[in-house]
Amino acid sequence: MFRAHSLLWTYLWVAPNLLLLILGFLIWKLGIARKVPAFFALAVLSAVSELAVYAADVLPTVGPRTFWGINWVGLLIEGVLKFLLFGEIFSQVFGSYRSVARLGRLLIQWVGVALILVATAAAAYAPQNSRFGIVSGFHFLEQAVYLIESGLLVFIFLFSFYFHLVWERRLFGITLGLSISSCVHLASWALIDNGGLPDSKRMILVFLNMATYHVCVLIWFYYLLVPKKPAAKSAVSLPENSLEAWNRELERLVQP
Amino acid sequence: MTLAIILVIAAAVALIVILGVALSRSLQLSAGTNLATQIQPIDVEAFRNLIDPAEDDYLRRRLPAAEFRIVRRRRLRAMAAYVHTAGRNAAVLVRMGQAALAAGDVPTVEAARRLVDNALLLRRNAAFALLRIYLALAWPNSGLAAEPVLRGYEKLNGSAMLLGRLQNPATPVRISASL
Repeated sequence: MFRAHSLLWTYLWVAPNLLLLILGFLIWKLGIARKVPAFFALAVLSAVSELAVYAADVLPTVGPRTFWGINWVGLLIEGVLKFLLFGEIFSQVFGSYRSVARLGRLLIQWVGVALILVATAAAAYAPQNSRFGIVSGFHFLEQAVYLIESGLLVFIFLFSFYFHLVWERRLFGITLGLSISSCVHLASWALIDNGGLPDSKRMILVFLNMATYHVCVLIWFYYLLVPKKPAAKSAVSLPENSLEAWNRELERLVQP
Repeated sequence: MTLAIILVIAAAVALIVILGVALSRSLQLSAGTNLATQIQPIDVEAFRNLIDPAEDDYLRRRLPAAEFRIVRRRRLRAMAAYVHTAGRNAAVLVRMGQAALAAGDVPTVEAARRLVDNALLLRRNAAFALLRIYLALAWPNSGLAAEPVLRGYEKLNGSAMLLGRLQNPATPVRISASL
């Protein structure tokens, strides 16, 4: 069942990317793309690049070097777009609040630097395969991208959690999908690259990655296209007190 | 294999943290109807007295060194409790302000944005102040600056009151007590 080029394998590779293209078209049609341009670009370009890699994999005329070259280009584009998307998420969640935006930017820069160092150390420590440098290099870069991505997403979630900031629904869905995908991919690529597993077990992990990505695409569909349930509009209930008296006393405190 | 295990554990922890935060966000949204009752009013006067450096100087002069350290630690613990409550109130006000941001009228949205910004600032200051208080607990003779928290709290109170007035003039908001 878990074999390359099986029906399930073809479905899990092609279907999420086709769905992502459809999602890209729909959010462009609905005008949502303007609000999340980096996500729109990521959805369209990563789907196109994945489908190109699929085509390169099944076409007999494409040699291994060209196949891995296409993979490299796709990964680099995806990596850049993901970091642009993080910028978009960060600025939309924190950017409008001066009091935390500066601190957040400073912290995320340091977290990013620390994660790059950890990813570099992980790549340096990993077992090297000198025969297929283009393949192992791709795997290390992929592992590094997922490691940095997961770390940054954890930081963004924890930072917003500490400040109790409520996210805009679409942005939350995008970030949630991206987080699940990056964490699962990080774990499975770590095992694929460094675990010394037999091919059959590695293939199961490849299937796990593809299935997770499919689920994440469905999460994006749900959060971007299914409208939010209309909440009952009620004024925030506030406890009884005399604010005027309070104000007077506080003014006395500020100007003793 | 060791590297693989470390990375798998890191990924699992990251996923658990993210899903936990996402779940708590959903619970927060569903339980967000009666936020104002979660606010614990603070006695600003007592807090002001606690952080007054003149009080500390007076105690330092009057008490033997060992006794001063005991008293100072007690005062620091009380201070930490106040700052902790102020930070928690700020978190509630962030949510109240964000809920009010959905309002249609411009003055309410403006007031809500100001409230959220002030509450975030207070929460940030509260975190730094708590850090300093815990450090001061280890070295009771060191100086301590908790004034930014007090200033932030006073500013926040003004924002909360303005939003309260705009949203519901009959039922104002209270984030401090005994004034």
